[in-house]
Amino acid sequence: MNEAEFAYRIRQALDEGVERLDYTVSLRLQKARLAAIERGVLRQSAPVWVPALQLASEDESQSVDTQSRVSAWLLRFGLAVPLIALALGIVGIKQWQNDQMVAEVADIDFAVLLDDTPIDTYAHQGYGVYLRNENGM
Amino acid sequence: MATRAELSEFLAGAERRAYKQALFAVRDQDNALDIVQDAMFKLSESYGERPAHELPLLFTRIVQNVIHDFFRRQKVRSTWITLFSALSSADGDESDPLETLEARPGSASAESAADQVEREQVVKIIEQEISRLPARQREAFLLRYWEDLDVAETAVTMKCSEGSVKTHCSRATQALAKALRARGIEL
Repeated sequence: MNEAEFAYRIRQALDEGVERLDYTVSLRLQKARLAAIERGVLRQSAPVWVPALQLASEDESQSVDTQSRVSAWLLRFGLAVPLIALALGIVGIKQWQNDQMVAEVADIDFAVLLDDTPIDTYAHQGYGVYLRNENGM
Repeated sequence: MATRAELSEFLAGAERRAYKQALFAVRDQDNALDIVQDAMFKLSESYGERPAHELPLLFTRIVQNVIHDFFRRQKVRSTWITLFSALSSADGDESDPLETLEARPGSASAESAADQVEREQVVKIIEQEISRLPARQREAFLLRYWEDLDVAETAVTMKCSEGSVKTHCSRATQALAKALRARGIEL
């Protein structure tokens, strides 16, 4: 007996076995089938969500195309704005720090030029603060 | 697109075979029923809109995938159990359990009855011997000769080469014939 003939006889036996399934198994399979079909129907009949801001137009394809272009532009713009703001903020903070440092050094220079303080005060880090406090008072 | 009636009719015709295939693989009635139910849900939810003539092959693939997922979950579970069990020893086996899985002897024989006719006994013995085949051989044999898939379709479903399908089928046939002969059954 060759492989195909042997397989055919096995197949016949398997088909017979399928026909003799227990009632409980058949019932559970039936329930599973009905549940699966019900799920599929529910999924297919689920509402399709449309963006609330979609513009009405007679030519639907054109509307969708236009909307997709606008939304793509808005998306790019929405991503670019925070990045630009962040870059400007970093530059501003750096500039402010530079101004503060220049002002501090200028105060010390001015005090040294007036011979109010020795030259060693350049090396003293807290002297700028002292001068500002003095001027503020 | 398959209508609800077509889908229902198809599943009604395919569910028993799918159950038997799952039962041959996992050898547990409840797990087999869960597998068929999962496969039905997946087909209905994800492929319910496909044409009716595509459903048989899709369902066959889904059933096989769900069976494979079952064994993967079992493998992960057993890995964790091995790691945390002081009684078990970790052997580090990374091989696919489907390649080497052998049946537990006598695991599916509880349903034998003394008053059954000879043909019923033969069918049961055949089912038992099919269940005892190594998983990949059984899968190839059933897909080729029970589900009527050709070699290429079987290879795609099993995610292996056509040559492997032929080898698995040939070995399954030889092993099955030998086992049935040993039990006094000549087909």
